[in-house]
Amino acid sequence: MRSRMFPFDSSLRTSELTQVRGSRYGPEYKDPQVDKEYYRKPLAELTEEEKYERELRKTQHIKAAPASKTSSVFEDPVISKFTNMIMKGGNKVLARSLMAQTLEAVKRKQFEKYHAASAEERASIERNPYTIFHQALKNCEPVIGLVPILRGGHFYQVPVPLADRRRRFLAMKWMITECREKKHRRVLMPEKLSHELLEAFHNQGPVIKKKHDMHKMAEANRALAHYRWW
Amino acid sequence: MAAPCVFWGAAVSYRLFLGSRVSLALRQGVWKAAAAELQILRLRHTTGVTAKKNVAALKRETYTVDFIKKQIEEFNIGKRHLANMMGEDPETFTQEDIDRAIAYLFPSGLFEKQARPIMKHPEQIFPKQRAIQWGEDGRPFHFLFYTGKQSYYSLMHEAYGKLLDVEKRQNQLQAKGLFSEKTKTKDLIGSRWLIKEELEEMLVEKLSDQDYAQFIRLLERLLTVECSAEEEEFVQRFRRSVTVQSRKQLIEPLQYDGQGMAFSTSEGKRKSAKAEAIVYEHGSGRIKVNGIDYLLYFPVTQDREQLMFPFHFLDRLGKHDVTCTVSGGGRSSQAGAIRLAMAKALCSFVTEEEVEWMRQAGLLTADPRVRERKKPGQEGARRKFTWKKR
Repeated sequence: MRSRMFPFDSSLRTSELTQVRGSRYGPEYKDPQVDKEYYRKPLAELTEEEKYERELRKTQHIKAAPASKTSSVFEDPVISKFTNMIMKGGNKVLARSLMAQTLEAVKRKQFEKYHAASAEERASIERNPYTIFHQALKNCEPVIGLVPILRGGHFYQVPVPLADRRRRFLAMKWMITECREKKHRRVLMPEKLSHELLEAFHNQGPVIKKKHDMHKMAEANRALAHYRWW
Repeated sequence: MAAPCVFWGAAVSYRLFLGSRVSLALRQGVWKAAAAELQILRLRHTTGVTAKKNVAALKRETYTVDFIKKQIEEFNIGKRHLANMMGEDPETFTQEDIDRAIAYLFPSGLFEKQARPIMKHPEQIFPKQRAIQWGEDGRPFHFLFYTGKQSYYSLMHEAYGKLLDVEKRQNQLQAKGLFSEKTKTKDLIGSRWLIKEELEEMLVEKLSDQDYAQFIRLLERLLTVECSAEEEEFVQRFRRSVTVQSRKQLIEPLQYDGQGMAFSTSEGKRKSAKAEAIVYEHGSGRIKVNGIDYLLYFPVTQDREQLMFPFHFLDRLGKHDVTCTVSGGGRSSQAGAIRLAMAKALCSFVTEEEVEWMRQAGLLTADPRVRERKKPGQEGARRKFTWKKR
């Protein structure tokens, strides 16, 4: 095999593996940083690491920003992820409108409660739908999960600590599945979703129950914990 | 499949030779020739002829020094001929000129760039090889020959020697009281260390990952202490420059229309949508797409957010007027194409730093993602047919 001269710039592919089969970007392309405030920070405030990071980014290739990302202050990564999970068949328009209607429904319900409540209770009622959404999903996240491990021809459900992203995913997945399956066919999705979100915000409801069931199963299978090797 | 045929031919000719020699030695006769023919016929019908492996051909080809010298001479002469052919001055004919000339004289439609005709200096084509490392008495020339990696260890030896020198000098300075902290910071971003493959090529020796890491650590230690010019030069030999991407962005020149208003035009693409945007310097944030207002052309909020993105990013939301034309693609790809066109056009109104910010936000890169083709034997691009056990 004749050795050839390697290209001497950042498009080297020697020790890095290509991430995904058929990605149109090379492995050297980095994700874009869309946040405006990151760039507006004055130079004096940056630490050494941040300065180095900035200088490094000047030499890297950057991917194009996807169509769902903007520098808007109203954009929320959790909401975007949840919208994508609700989406069916690529119908982003419908998914986004459902999400908007859900948040509106949550806000309306909370405002009704607020107006009906007395002065002391008003302070404790949360009306911002985004905080309710985030808190509800956080309440639904399981701490520990079960993983089927094959040992001696049988699959045992072994309790395993979950990564952050896996927990967030499970919370969202349970919420959406619950709302899709356990609703009456005449009830609309935003109504059901808003109801479930409010219940989860108060640590009640079927999704929280599912989380507790998962914890109980993990506790019951505590003896199998040593099957885990990582 | 040339190799088996060669062996087959060799075996047949060998047998033929033997057969003919035997027949001539014993008796002349027509029936002996016929027997030889029968033997040949028999040979033709046998399968799986076993032949000895050509061991010599499997070893790596070695090029002698004379051969390489001859190649270099031929290359230089050829270069002069080529320059004459192209009507250029042979003295100032660079490698890029050669590449262009070859591409012109031998146009090739092959997709694989390395399969096309090339004319490069023999040092770039033939791999670097090591001359014989020992003399006639069998004694090796280099004192580190028996380590197995003589170039690597001699390099380490040299680098460590330099480090010790520098430290001794610093100790002397400190003893005298003239010690000064290292003040100058080197340009660490514009260059990078050699990678392992490059180092291997430089030393013409195989290295392990640990060897390479050890060497880089030593060089970094050299960098941390203050060293003289020759040590700097020694370290710089192992650094390669890295292109700074921001300088590659093309900034459109400004044009002026009849009323004296400055504007800038640019194009953008996304999937199969092509857009052209004209951004005016002063305006009130009106965007016209194909003559229609953007609120009516893009009823979906997400598309309008994409149109707003470049302006919002640069805090110029209500300050420019845009007229654009777009064709092809779907609603989302048309929005993406217009976004790219607008961002590129905005580069002419904005400082270089902001252009770099836009590039890092992903606004100035054309999205290369296209629809993946469907493959035969599968239902879609990735989806396979339902697996049936029987």
